[in-house]
Amino acid sequence: MSEILVENVTHHFDAVLAVSDLSFRVERGEIVALVGRTGAGKSTAFNMIMGALKPDQGVVRVAGHDPFANSKALRGLIGVSFQNDRLLPWLTARGNIEFGLRILGVPAAERRKRADSWLEQTKLDGAGDLYPHQLSGGMRQRVSLARALAIDPSIVLLDESFSQLDHVTSKTLREDFGALARRLGKTCLLITHRIDDAVEMADRILVLAPPAHVVMEARPRAAGASPKSLQESIERALGGEDGAAEGTERTLAGGRPALVARGRVA
Amino acid sequence: MTDAIPAGAAEKREAGKSASQLSTWLAAGAPTLVVIAVILGVMEVASWYTPSYVMPSVSSIGGALWRLMTLDLHHVLTTLLRLAIAMTFAIAVGTALGCIMGMFRPIQPYLRSLVIIDAGIPALSWMLIAVFWFRDPEIRIFFILSVIIIPFYALNVHDAIRALPKDWVEAIGTFRPSLFQIFYLLILPHIVPYILMTTRSIIGYAMRMVIFAELIGAAIGIGSAMGLAQGAFEMNVVLAWTVLLVILNLVFQQAIGLIEARVLRYRPEATIR
Repeated sequence: MSEILVENVTHHFDAVLAVSDLSFRVERGEIVALVGRTGAGKSTAFNMIMGALKPDQGVVRVAGHDPFANSKALRGLIGVSFQNDRLLPWLTARGNIEFGLRILGVPAAERRKRADSWLEQTKLDGAGDLYPHQLSGGMRQRVSLARALAIDPSIVLLDESFSQLDHVTSKTLREDFGALARRLGKTCLLITHRIDDAVEMADRILVLAPPAHVVMEARPRAAGASPKSLQESIERALGGEDGAAEGTERTLAGGRPALVARGRVA
Repeated sequence: MTDAIPAGAAEKREAGKSASQLSTWLAAGAPTLVVIAVILGVMEVASWYTPSYVMPSVSSIGGALWRLMTLDLHHVLTTLLRLAIAMTFAIAVGTALGCIMGMFRPIQPYLRSLVIIDAGIPALSWMLIAVFWFRDPEIRIFFILSVIIIPFYALNVHDAIRALPKDWVEAIGTFRPSLFQIFYLLILPHIVPYILMTTRSIIGYAMRMVIFAELIGAAIGIGSAMGLAQGAFEMNVVLAWTVLLVILNLVFQQAIGLIEARVLRYRPEATIR
């Protein structure tokens, strides 16, 4: 059973079509990136998976549950990290990491133990007693990721989690997080507009074009896949700097995604 | 190479820091001291040319103040107790009303209208109403203070909840908390600065209100004692009480400042240059 299932999902905001027949799956232990330009419908798809938005048509299932109708069933199953860290300013780094555990009713001693372990795993040793304003942007994002992981979720959703950081910090963080997620066997869905984030982290990349639908699928970790050429292909699919790609337009003309690259992308 | 720290350098640095802090405090307090000195000087000069029931001498006021502090302390303690009870009740009820307005949208327009109507009723009206409604002076004073103070907390707490960042609510929502957990873990810590700010703003006003309420309906308390002094043309006693009230207000402000420094220690200090 897929951990995340999105099947023939369509959604409108008033008269505007935001998601058009979007379908994809994320299997257990897989890291999948949804890549798209601003306005491609990534966030709409993300909100539907989070259970914050009910699709007009189609099916969304997360760990077998309908996230909108049965939101409470996902308690403790999903960890989420956002573009901005969203840390609570009155809690220390440790307090923020413990936050989800408090909601799940984990006893104080166990919370502390787990938070300390996550501080260590996310390379935040010694920062546990610092408040968010005393931490750097990269450290705050590490705390945010640790908060998401501390509840030991089976699914981790990352909404542009590395996008606001500088290039070096972002690279280090996604390398660390990618390794951690693989080691722990987490299912991850990364929403991003940054191709390098997706290429470096994901097992599979789904390129979205507006209104949200998949126009390209790629596996950067497949044998022989070249990150550079893959990046160029995705850029072409995303349409360069000034609008929809020729390739994207071609695929849309037929109404179905045709620009699909599986395995090796030349 | 190791950087050697000269013996006694740390002590010297600490001493320098303390001296610097002292000079900062003196610099901050100097204008207040100057203003107080000028006021006292004007009062003293005025006392030379006017009867004592218009402007008594500074030494006479000082003597009266000493007597109040030593012989009439029960008036002060009674007033402070009344204030403390009414403030505690108003904080609890006002915060609860603000939270209900912020968390339960369908009730919000009705409750907010009620609170705004309450806020619009003059304090004097409440005092007169209380005289008609309640015989017991303690209940009168409690009622007057409560109905006057509650709207401040209710409206400020409601505004605090409205200002709650949507990002935080979303982030916390990912853990699927119960409504009680949202209140306890998110809303309550968020509204604490607003409650402290409201307390800081209204403590002086609340003190004045309790004095008025005591003046019209109590046999004990600062307001009552001031009424008696006024009736006996003891201007020095009236001014001594006034001085004491100003001192009490400064003490309250300082105490709230200390609580803020402790409770809100997570907030960075912004420096505007």
